[in-house]
Amino acid sequence: MRSRSTAVVGLVSLTALLLSGCSSTGSGDGGPVTLEFWSWAPNTQELVDIWNEENPDIQVEYTDAGGGDDSAAKLLTANRAGNAPDLAAVEYTTLPSLIVSDVPLDITEYVEDVQDAYTEGTWAQTTFDGAVFGLPQDVGPMAMVYRSDRFEELGVEVPTTWEEFREAAAAVRAADPNTYIASLPPGELGFFAGVAAQAGSEWWAIEDGTWSVGIDDDESLEVADFFQSLADDDLISTEPLLTPEYNKKLNEGTILSWPSALWAPGVIESVAPETAGGWSMAPLPQWNEGDPAVAYQGGSAVIVTKASEHPEEAAEFAKWLNASDEGSELVLTKQNAYPAAIAGQELAAESDPPTLMPQQTDFYEIAADIASQTKPVIWGPNVNVAKSTFEDQLNKAVESGTPWRDAFTATADAVRDDMRETGYEVAGD
Amino acid sequence: MTASVQARPRARRTLRPRFAPYLFSAPAVVLYVAFMLVPVGYAIWLSLRAYRLVGGGILGTRQDVFVGLENYVSVLTDPELLASLGRLAVYGLIAVPLTLGLALLFALMLDVPAVRAKRFARTAIFVPYAVPGVVAALLWGFMYLPSTSPFSYLTEAAGWGTIPFLENPTLFGSLANIAIWGGVGFNMIIIYTSLRGIPTELYESARLDGASEVQIALRVKVPLVMPAVVLTLVFSLIGTLQVYGEPATLQPMTRDISQTWAPLMTIYRDAFVTDDLPAAAASSTVLALGTVLISVLVLAIANRRRMEDAK
Repeated sequence: MRSRSTAVVGLVSLTALLLSGCSSTGSGDGGPVTLEFWSWAPNTQELVDIWNEENPDIQVEYTDAGGGDDSAAKLLTANRAGNAPDLAAVEYTTLPSLIVSDVPLDITEYVEDVQDAYTEGTWAQTTFDGAVFGLPQDVGPMAMVYRSDRFEELGVEVPTTWEEFREAAAAVRAADPNTYIASLPPGELGFFAGVAAQAGSEWWAIEDGTWSVGIDDDESLEVADFFQSLADDDLISTEPLLTPEYNKKLNEGTILSWPSALWAPGVIESVAPETAGGWSMAPLPQWNEGDPAVAYQGGSAVIVTKASEHPEEAAEFAKWLNASDEGSELVLTKQNAYPAAIAGQELAAESDPPTLMPQQTDFYEIAADIASQTKPVIWGPNVNVAKSTFEDQLNKAVESGTPWRDAFTATADAVRDDMRETGYEVAGD
Repeated sequence: MTASVQARPRARRTLRPRFAPYLFSAPAVVLYVAFMLVPVGYAIWLSLRAYRLVGGGILGTRQDVFVGLENYVSVLTDPELLASLGRLAVYGLIAVPLTLGLALLFALMLDVPAVRAKRFARTAIFVPYAVPGVVAALLWGFMYLPSTSPFSYLTEAAGWGTIPFLENPTLFGSLANIAIWGGVGFNMIIIYTSLRGIPTELYESARLDGASEVQIALRVKVPLVMPAVVLTLVFSLIGTLQVYGEPATLQPMTRDISQTWAPLMTIYRDAFVTDDLPAAAASSTVLALGTVLISVLVLAIANRRRMEDAK
C-alpha cells in the first residue's frame, strides 16, 4: 500500500513535471501553494496531513524518497535535472556536501526568529559561516542501548567507561561463548567518528578558509587501536549490522548491546519486537572517567532547496515541523525520534519511555542529561568519500589482520586528496 | 482511360522508393538516436568534465568544468579497476563454463526422444530465470548467512560448523552459483530451440549408421548447435562484465564484498555515493569499450574456427 501510494505520488509529480517543467506546482500569487517534501522518517505522512488540514493555502505533498544516503543521492540528481523538491530531509553528515553542490537555500532570513527554539550546539549543525541551511529535526546524542535482562543473567556490570566496556565484553564472552557484547562493524563510520570526537578528535575543521582533516590524528588512532584490540581478542563481533543474521542474534539475545544513539530503541524494536522489556538505555561509556560529553550519531534536518519557487512558504512548513511545539511533539510521538527542538526535548522528559524499554521510566531523564552534554561536530564537504573509503579499508584490515589505524590513515589521505582535487585549501600543503 | 490507369502505378513507383524506406525505418532510427546515441554521446561528454570548487564562502560550490582526459587517467591508473577485473575473471571462470555446460547438457537431455515430462522439466529449469535478480540474490543470501542457512544448519548439526559461504574464497562460488541458477534456463532455451531446428533426417541416417543416442548427441547435435553455444557464450561474458545485482545485494551482509568489488559497483559508487558522475561516466565508457572488444574477439575466434572446420 505504501509503495503503491509512493508510486502514485511519483507518477503524479512526474506528470506535473512534464506539464509544467518545474517542481513546484502553484497557481501564482494569492492562490494556494503546493510544496513537495522528501523525507524518510516513519509516519511523516500523518504529520503532513495535520499541516495540510490547518493550512489550506500551503499544501504539502510528501514523498518517501528512501533513507538518508539514497535520499541524498536522489536529491543531487534531481537538483541537477532541475526538478528537486521544495523541501527535503537530509542527514547532518550529508548537508555540507549538498551545500557544496548548491542544493539547499540559505534560509537565514526566514528562520532566524526560531533560533531560540534550539540549543547552540544543535543550531550549529546546520549553520555554516553564519548562514543557516536547514532546520534541525531530530538529533542523535550517543548512548548505549543494552539487554539489561541478559546482563543481569550473565552477571555483567553496565560499563561506564570504555575500559569497563572491555571488561564487560570479556565477562560476556566468558559467561556465554556464543554471545558478544556488541558488533561494531567497519560500515559504521558514524559510530567511529562519534567515539573519536568523544575522545577529542576533530575529523573535519576549518580555520581561515583552510580545512584540516583529523581522521588520522592521535586521538583517532588510539580509538582505532582500542577497538582493534577488542576485535583481536574476540571480545566484540565485527559483523555488519541489521542483516538477517544480525537481527536473528538480536532476537536470540546473543548480541547484547548497541552503542549508538538515542534513536536506537526504535530501530531495534522494528527488527526484534519480541525482545521489548529486556532492554535499557545507558550513557555511552566514557574515554576519561568523569567526562560525560558525547558526540552525535545520525540525526537530520529539513532543507529548503534552491529550486523551490516558494522558499518562504517552504520555510514556514519547516519551522512548524521542526521548531514549533506542535511539530516537535509529533516528531517525538509519531516519528519516534529525539526532537532537535528544546520544546520537544522537554516534552520528551515527561513522556513514557520507548516501547522497547517500558520498564525504564527514567529513560528520557537520562536522555536529557546526555543531550545537555553533547559536543558539536563539524562535518566536511566529502563525508561520502570518507564513509566509502573507511568501510572498504577497515573491512580489508579486519579481514587481513592488518592494523586498523592504517584504515584510518588511508581514509584521511583519501579525504584530503579528494578535497585538494576539488579545489579546497587543505592544511599540510 | 488507359492513360490514367497507367499513370497511377507510375506515380507510385516514383514516390515509393524515394520516401518509403526512410518512413519505415524512421521510428527505429529515431528511437535508436534518442535512446542510444544521444545518451552515449552525453556520457562521453560528461566523462570529460569534473566538479570543481568555484567561488568563496566557507564551503564554496562545486560546478562542472572541462578537464579533458583527466578522468580517464585516474580510472585507468586506479589499481582497484584491475583488481575488480581480476575478481570478475575468477567469478567468470566458475560461472560461464558451468552455465553453458549445464545449459547444453539439459538441452541435449530434453532432446532425447525417450525423455518424459519434457514440458514440465523445461519449465522447471527455466523458472529461476523468471525470478528477478535482486530477489534471487536475497533468497540465496538468506541461504548463505550462517544463522539462517539450511545448509549450515545441517553441517552444524553434524558437528562440522557452519559453511563460510560469504567469505573468501567460497564467496566466488556462492556468487557464481546465483548466476548459474538464474542463467542456465535461459541459455538452455536458446540451445534447445536451435536443436529443434536440426532436420530429423540427420538423426535417422546417424541411427542407420549405428550411432547410439550419446554418439548422436556428441557428433551430430553439438557441432550443429555450436553457433547457438557461441551466442550464449558471448551473452554470458557480457553478463559477467556487467555483474552488479548479486554482489551489490549481498554487500551489506558480508565484509568480503567491497564497494568496488565489480567495475559496475565502482561506477555506482562514483555516480551516487561519492557524487562523482564524470568519473562514473569515464569508467562506463572504458567498460563499454572493453565489452565490445571482448565480444568482437570471441566472435572472431568462433568464426575462424568455423571457417577452418568448413575447410
